[in-house]
Amino acid sequence: MTRSHFSIILLPTLGCNADCEYCFENKTDRHLTLDHLAVLIDKVMDFLERKHIGRLSIYWQGGEVMTLPPEWFEQADIIIRRSAEARKKEVVNYLQSNMIGYSVKWNRLISEMFGNSVGSSMDFPNLHRRFKGGAPHQFETLWVQNVREAREAGIKISVIAIPNKKTLQMGAERFYSHFADDLRITEFQVNTPFPGGSSNRVKDGYPLDAERLGRFLTDLATIWIDRGFGKGVHVGPFDRLMEYFVHGHKNLLCIWRDNCVNDFICIDPQGYVSQCDCWAASYPTFRFGNILGRDSLCNILEKNEARRQLQERPGVLIQREDCIECRYLGICHGGCPVRAHTMQGNLNRKDPYCSVYLALFDRMKELAGMANGQSGPFPLRSVSVGKNQLYSNERR
Amino acid sequence: MTMEDGMNAITYNIPASLIADFGERKRIVRAHDPAEIVENLADEDLEGISFIKLLSLNGKLDSLMGWRNAIPIELVVSDTHRDLPLLYRYTPLLTDHPIRVLVPLVPGFGNVVKLAVSLNFAVKLEGGQPDESLLDEMQRIALFYLHQPLVAEPIDFFHSLFLAFYHRTSITLWTIQEEDSSLVRYITDEGEETMPGRFAGMKVNENFSTFMLEIQQGPVGEKGKCAGCEFLMHCQGYFKWPRREYRCDGVKTLMHTLRSAAEELRTDIASFHSPGEGGRT
Repeated sequence: MTRSHFSIILLPTLGCNADCEYCFENKTDRHLTLDHLAVLIDKVMDFLERKHIGRLSIYWQGGEVMTLPPEWFEQADIIIRRSAEARKKEVVNYLQSNMIGYSVKWNRLISEMFGNSVGSSMDFPNLHRRFKGGAPHQFETLWVQNVREAREAGIKISVIAIPNKKTLQMGAERFYSHFADDLRITEFQVNTPFPGGSSNRVKDGYPLDAERLGRFLTDLATIWIDRGFGKGVHVGPFDRLMEYFVHGHKNLLCIWRDNCVNDFICIDPQGYVSQCDCWAASYPTFRFGNILGRDSLCNILEKNEARRQLQERPGVLIQREDCIECRYLGICHGGCPVRAHTMQGNLNRKDPYCSVYLALFDRMKELAGMANGQSGPFPLRSVSVGKNQLYSNERR
Repeated sequence: MTMEDGMNAITYNIPASLIADFGERKRIVRAHDPAEIVENLADEDLEGISFIKLLSLNGKLDSLMGWRNAIPIELVVSDTHRDLPLLYRYTPLLTDHPIRVLVPLVPGFGNVVKLAVSLNFAVKLEGGQPDESLLDEMQRIALFYLHQPLVAEPIDFFHSLFLAFYHRTSITLWTIQEEDSSLVRYITDEGEETMPGRFAGMKVNENFSTFMLEIQQGPVGEKGKCAGCEFLMHCQGYFKWPRREYRCDGVKTLMHTLRSAAEELRTDIASFHSPGEGGRT
C-alpha cells in the first residue's frame, strides 16, 4: 500500500434552503439516490485500488446537505463503510452545511459519521446570505441560533467567510472581533469571492479591489497573530501559511497547491464528475464525464480533454505568465483555475487575486519570523537556506 | 581491498535491459520509458538499487504510480525549455519516492532549477566548463540557493560544496558530481563499462585509475595550472576537463560565494550557540 490519499467533494443534492446572491451553483431539486451512491462508491473504490491509494476523504457539500434527511446519510454511511471494508480502504467523512436545516435530530449522525464537526459559512457583515425572499438578518439570526444549539450539543463548528465591500470598509478588527469574540468561533477561514455561475448585481462587483482586500487580509493576519495565534484560535489561510513559513509544512489551501487536479474531484447528484464544486454546477462544458455511466473513473479522468487542460495549466502558466520569477512560486503555482476562468475567461491565466496573495505571503513571512522570536523575518541574517538544510541534515 | 570488494563499492549506471547481468551489485537503473523499468525489475532486484533514472520526461507514468516501493527517482532534463512544464507531471510520485532533477548547465537552466525546488524536487547540475554567460546564470542561481528562504531542497553541486566548506571536509567535486570512477561506472546500452557522468561512453584503456592519474599529473599536479589554487582541495581539476586551457576565474568566483556564505553561517551559528548572549545551549 502506498501512502497516497485522494479526496472527493460529493454533492448529494443541488437543492438548497437558501438563496445567497453570490452563489455560483445552479440549483436543481435532484438528489443522489442510495442505489446510485452504491454504484458511485464502488467505482471510486475501483479507482483507489487501481491507483494503489489507501485513504479517501469525502467532503459532503451541496446545494445544502441538510435538505436531505439524516436517515439518508445513515444509509449512505453503511454503504460506504461496507464498500471500504471490502476493499481495505480508509474513509473519512467531512460535512459542510449552512446549518439552516439543523436540529437535534442531526446530532447522532454528525457525531458518528462526521467526527462531531461541521464546516459552515457566514459573512460579516452578512449582506448576501439569505432565504428566498428573505432578508440577510433573518438568515443570520437563525444561523446564530442553530450554531449555538449545535455547539451546546458538543458539535465543533468552523466557518468560511466571504468578504464583501462592506467588510473591507469596516476593517479587520471588527471582523476578527465578530467571529472570535462575539460568536466565539475558534476556527474560521476567509475565502476570496469570484463571480462564478450566472451573473447578477452582486457578482458584477467582483473581483473586490485587490489593494483593499490585500490590506484587509494582512491586517487580519496581524490581529490574529496578536490575539489568537497559539491561543486556540485558528484563522485560515493564515494558520497554514504560518505552518509553512515556520516549519516548512506545505498543507496549503487547494488554490495554492501545485495542481489541484492531482488531489481531488467533485461528483454531483447526477454522477457528473468535475474538478470541484465551483465547476460542477456552473460550467457543464468542463465536466469530465459521468461516473454512473459505463466508463470507469480511471477512464473518465485519463481521457477527458477538460481535465487534460486543467492538468496542464500550471505548466502553461510557467511558460506564459511571470510565475517563474515569483519568490512564492512554490506555494502558489498560479493560483486557482476557476477564478482565472471566471474572471479572465481563460483558464491559462494566473489567478486574478495574484497581487492579494503576494501581499499576504509577504506579511505572513514577516509575521512568522516575529512569532519565531526573531527581530527579522529569519533567524540568520542572510544564509537562511543553508541554516535550514544544515539543521535538517544534523537531525537525520 | 580485494578486487571483489572494489567491485562491490562501485555503483553501476546500467540500462534497464541489463538488470539481470548485474546481479547484486549496486546499480542505478536507467530507461526512457518508466514502464521498462517497472517491467524489468522484480522485487528481488530492488536491493542494491541506488535510484532509477528516467531519461525522458514525457513517458507514461501509470506504471510508476502504482509501484510499491520507495526507490528514489532521478529525472533527466535534456531540453530546458521543452522539459520545464513536464516537471509538474511528477509531483504525485513524491508521496512515495524522493525525486531529484538532473539539469544540464545550458542557458535557461535556472528556470528549471527554480521550478524543481518549488515542487520539492532536489536538483543536481551537470556540466563542466561553463562559458561567461552561463556563469552569470550560475551565480544568480547560487545566490537563489543561498538566500531565497523558501528553497528547502538541495541544489548540487552548490549544496554539497557549501556543506564541505561549512564542515571543512575535503569531499571533491568529482565525488559530489558522481563522476569519480572509483565509485561510479557507466555501462553503455551495449554493455561496455565506461567512465561516469560527463565522460559516459568514454573508453578507458586498461585501468580506470589511469584517468584520474592523468589529472593528478596534469593540471592538478605540482607544476600544473591548478597548483596554488585556493579551491584545489575541493575541485581537483574538475573544471579542467575536457579543455585544459579553460579559465576558471568565473568558477572560482562562484566557489568563493559559496565559501563566504558557509563561513558567515559558521560565525552566525557559533554566536547562536555561545552562552551569555541569549543563545541556545
